[in-house]
Amino acid sequence: MTSGEARGGGEGAWSTERPASVVRPFLLTAGRIAGGDSLVPPIPIETQVVATDAGLATLDRFVFDQHRDIITVCREPQSLAEIAARLRMHLNVVRVLADDLRADGQLALYAPQARSHRDVSVLKRVIDGLRAVPDSRGAIREG
Amino acid sequence: MVSELSPTPGARSVRDDDGRPQPPLPVKMVIAGGFGVGKTTTVGAISEIEPLTTEASITSVAAGVDDLTHTPEKVTTTVAMDFGCVTLDPTLKLYLFGTPGQERFGFMWDDLVEGALGGLVIVDTRRLDDCYAAVDYFEHREIPFAVAVNAFDGKIEHDLDDVRWALDVADHVPLTVFDARDRGSVRDALLVVLEHALARAEG
Repeated sequence: MTSGEARGGGEGAWSTERPASVVRPFLLTAGRIAGGDSLVPPIPIETQVVATDAGLATLDRFVFDQHRDIITVCREPQSLAEIAARLRMHLNVVRVLADDLRADGQLALYAPQARSHRDVSVLKRVIDGLRAVPDSRGAIREG
Repeated sequence: MVSELSPTPGARSVRDDDGRPQPPLPVKMVIAGGFGVGKTTTVGAISEIEPLTTEASITSVAAGVDDLTHTPEKVTTTVAMDFGCVTLDPTLKLYLFGTPGQERFGFMWDDLVEGALGGLVIVDTRRLDDCYAAVDYFEHREIPFAVAVNAFDGKIEHDLDDVRWALDVADHVPLTVFDARDRGSVRDALLVVLEHALARAEG
């Protein structure tokens, strides 16, 4: 159970200003970029990323802050977009680094199924879920 | 391999057998429109978190290029993109991405938009021109979308039919009026998109 620790860190800890890394992000990816003209379809930005036990166990041994930071924020599931925003890293850098950490068994990535956005059952679940969102605090919309 | 999440997870639990957090199925919608039309306000009105900003790349295709060449110049630009999210239930999380305003260019958001449930194009009736690029994009990519006129208190001076005529959007595209500051109003505008997407998926 790691959620307690993650919450203990708090959102504030991620959003505080910190000095720019001495390692340039695209240097860390060894010039590899995601998206752009790459032939490999980029990992969807809403893909959920979770640290594995192996990743959390090696937290103290990462050479680069960026790797450690990604594992740390992924104690709880995060989208690639959230990781990028919270760590102030370019989305395409996060894509590459997260995929590296996945290959090393330190992160698990869960992408939505390719056709789920045209899946009637998914659309109905989203509609039902959204209808339950109240107008403002308290009130639940009728119907 | 990147694991694929089932669209209909059987288990309601958000922890697996090892107690590891199980992620929800992520779905997304795209909020588009011209600069300053209220995209971030819209996201912020319904998001459970303060809208976050991330840097992303979009490929811009220079507009107005000589069509005879068929080789429009492509430029990859880093843009700031605002987004938020709504946890609909423990197994389902809706992300809302505000597309960066690039009104003067044809643009390719494919990287961001691929797999979106649908799009909401926000319109300011004083600057209708600003939304054409987004409307064209969604039509071209066959992504279900609706056009929503952002109006204080949900009221506009023009007749909606006049707006539709001015925008020249197809009759099957839903057109609605909403208030980007109001959570219930944003929810209803998103539902217009989703009902449209559902009708298409079922049809």
